Amino acid sequence: MAGKVLIFCGSDDPQKAFPPFMLGAGALATDMEVTLFFTMNGLNIVRRRGAEKIVLRGAPKTLPEFIKVLQEGGAKMIACSAAFPIVGIQEEDLIDGVECGGVATFMIAAEEADIVLTF
Amino acid sequence: MGEVDLDKIKVAKVVDARGSACPGPLLEAKKAIGTVAVGETIEVWSGDPSTKADLPRWAAKVGHEYLGVREGDGYDRIFVSRRK
Repeated sequence: MAGKVLIFCGSDDPQKAFPPFMLGAGALATDMEVTLFFTMNGLNIVRRRGAEKIVLRGAPKTLPEFIKVLQEGGAKMIACSAAFPIVGIQEEDLIDGVECGGVATFMIAAEEADIVLTF
Repeated sequence: MGEVDLDKIKVAKVVDARGSACPGPLLEAKKAIGTVAVGETIEVWSGDPSTKADLPRWAAKVGHEYLGVREGDGYDRIFVSRRK
């Protein structure tokens, strides 16, 4: 592996929801280990039937397509349970392949990452 | 770490953090582990789905030993032994 990147996904605004996946795909292509951490409204990206609703015209792929690319490429996806009550979401509402994590998981991943990107 | 029989572990302190969402259970675990002796074990109860992921990583980071988890009805019981 050529390094680790941790991407903080805190928004469902298309302008902020898509770049983590574009950059994450690029990081996988360059053999980096990729982790995406979803919190606050960013949780809507990994909520069932959530990504379909986040549309960015002109983007090379839809958000569900990007999620598939990243998951197939081995990216790890973590949903922040601290924000579940804030966004009104539960563990069962998450798409497959997303695990729950908390503040310790995030901070340790951040410390171990070579790059942390925040959206 | 060898196989640990969680049912036979002597627990020095049970921390009921079921009413607390992340980062509450982590903070309560940190507080509780300071109240038991080195070598003793705490058992943290949490209904937050992240706690069973967070506590092993926290323990590894700060130098305690994560012994395991019992996933129960609506909450998890997580065992950590104080090592320093």
